[in-house]
Amino acid sequence: MGSILGDLPSYDPHNFSQIRPSDPSKSSKMTPVTYHPTHDRTLPPPDQVISSEAKNILLRHFYARSEEKLRSKRGASETESLTPEQVRKHPRSSTSDARL
Amino acid sequence: MFRSNNYNVTARIFQRQIRTPAPGTSFHCARRFYENIVPSCTIYDAECPDHSFRKFTEDGQYLISFSRNHQDLIVYRPSWLTFSCKEEDCDGQDLPLKARKFESFFSQLYSVPLASSSELICKDFFLYIESNQFGLFATSTPQVHDAPAIGGAVHGVPSVEKITFHLLRLGDGVILDERVFRNDYVNLAHSMGVFLYDDLLAIVSLRYQKIHIIQIRDSGTLVDVRAIGEFCQEDDELFLNSSYQCTANGDRSRQHHVPVDHVGQSDNHNQPSPENSFLSGIKQRMLSFIFQGIWNEETDETLRMQHVKKKFYFHFQDYVDLIMWKVQLLDRHHLLIKFGSVDGGVSRNADNHPAFLAVYNMETTDIVAFYQNSVDELYLLFEQFCDHFHVTSKRSLYMNFISSHSNNIHVREQVRSNKNKATSLPQFVKKMLSSLPYCSQSQSPSPYFDQSLFRYDEKLISATERHRQCTDHPIKFISRQSNTLKFKIKPGPEVGTADGRVKKISSFLFHPFLPLALSIQQTWSLQPAVVNIHFRR
Repeated sequence: MGSILGDLPSYDPHNFSQIRPSDPSKSSKMTPVTYHPTHDRTLPPPDQVISSEAKNILLRHFYARSEEKLRSKRGASETESLTPEQVRKHPRSSTSDARL
Repeated sequence: MFRSNNYNVTARIFQRQIRTPAPGTSFHCARRFYENIVPSCTIYDAECPDHSFRKFTEDGQYLISFSRNHQDLIVYRPSWLTFSCKEEDCDGQDLPLKARKFESFFSQLYSVPLASSSELICKDFFLYIESNQFGLFATSTPQVHDAPAIGGAVHGVPSVEKITFHLLRLGDGVILDERVFRNDYVNLAHSMGVFLYDDLLAIVSLRYQKIHIIQIRDSGTLVDVRAIGEFCQEDDELFLNSSYQCTANGDRSRQHHVPVDHVGQSDNHNQPSPENSFLSGIKQRMLSFIFQGIWNEETDETLRMQHVKKKFYFHFQDYVDLIMWKVQLLDRHHLLIKFGSVDGGVSRNADNHPAFLAVYNMETTDIVAFYQNSVDELYLLFEQFCDHFHVTSKRSLYMNFISSHSNNIHVREQVRSNKNKATSLPQFVKKMLSSLPYCSQSQSPSPYFDQSLFRYDEKLISATERHRQCTDHPIKFISRQSNTLKFKIKPGPEVGTADGRVKKISSFLFHPFLPLALSIQQTWSLQPAVVNIHFRR
């Protein structure tokens, strides 16, 4: 792979196959070193959707303060109210492969 | 070579050729050119028609003005002075005679009569809908003080027989739609009673304590979305009416009751009779929010009742007597409502009256927050997130550059030093929070008011469009980066008449992006105003 980028690996050996070297005398049909993760700790959960919060940060502060105030100290209703962080991620089917 | 002294326009152009600005600052770098292109040339006492000039629209396409008799709207297109010069040294020549004419800088597009015989255009009111180039104007009949409080109206608020909002397409002056409010009162001065967010208008009817949410459609029609006040949910009224019919047994007053639509257009007299002891919907929401907050403060059940009595029931009547003063939209679903006592609602100086700010969600009809306007917690939110209060729409870019203490280091330093110098912190907090709810389109987007580009005396001129006392001294604009004087706005070669004590007020209209400004000096009498044109030669 090109000299500028160094010998960085790629997860797909077919990537960078179209690259034309700046110096035509050197042929460069090298496939990049492929890397496959040996664990799946970094994979996102298959049903994850990341979307942006509809409420702006000011409103989020207002809601957070009001939830503190209105939350009953008895704790019975604490489990009912979802914090904004939990609501943000929705389940969804897995995404397709990202194209380079 | 150009590093240390890249303040002149040539150096800046070279820099622009060879250097990419730091990420995210390309706008800021481009705006630095305004330090070099300034309206330094002034034409004093230009010959201009005797109209009262209101403002430039935010996209710089139109100049809005009203006729002296407050009945016609005249719209101009800002152009530029053009002339040819056959001398050798053209820059040193004086400007031609036609430069003194207003028409060299502005071309009149049309003049439209807005107000009929008994009405006057409210010349302080103008809102611009940039996406469609619509303008919203207001005409009203004279105010009636001491109007009887009938039909659910609040005591102490004056009444106006007819207020009409006109929606115009500014390109050709066609009136697209109108909205009439009868026997009502909307605070039209400086567009305070109306807030524009995107395509939503929030109009506060002070007299009937209702917030009308109206949508401006692309076709130019005004559509009522909801009316908050008496009722919060759209079907509250239906529910209450049906229960009246069930319980009323041949009660004569109920038989005359005509169902009222939410529209402000209809005659507001036919409201549910005042004999019903229900508090209005919005007030019920407010009281229940306050009650719940106070109830949850005290965990010990034996002390709880005492606590609630002291904090809530003791002040119950004061809370009930609060009225809505002013409203703004925080986003499409949330309103920021200012509550206060009746006395402070109409008067200018409301410092001595207690005021409260509430956040209301229109979809769930819940009050989300309720604070007194001297509370530190709310002030901290305002200090950190000022720009989230100053919303117009999601799409206007220029709002990012209107200097506030959340987006500009110099304004923030100023606020910090004021806070440290303040003798009483609650007073300082009250003063800062008195600008909430924000008035839409009340600040000029001109880059000459950008505090990161220029330093100027805020008491003499500022982005907020207000009339000011005319000053003898020129108003200096000093560049922040180079600390040199860039241009001055001088009121005129002679200020004050022979007797010397005539007070003049001055107002300034800056074009949003061209180096063009009008300064207008007028006296309170009917003398024609003196208009100076400041531009870059």
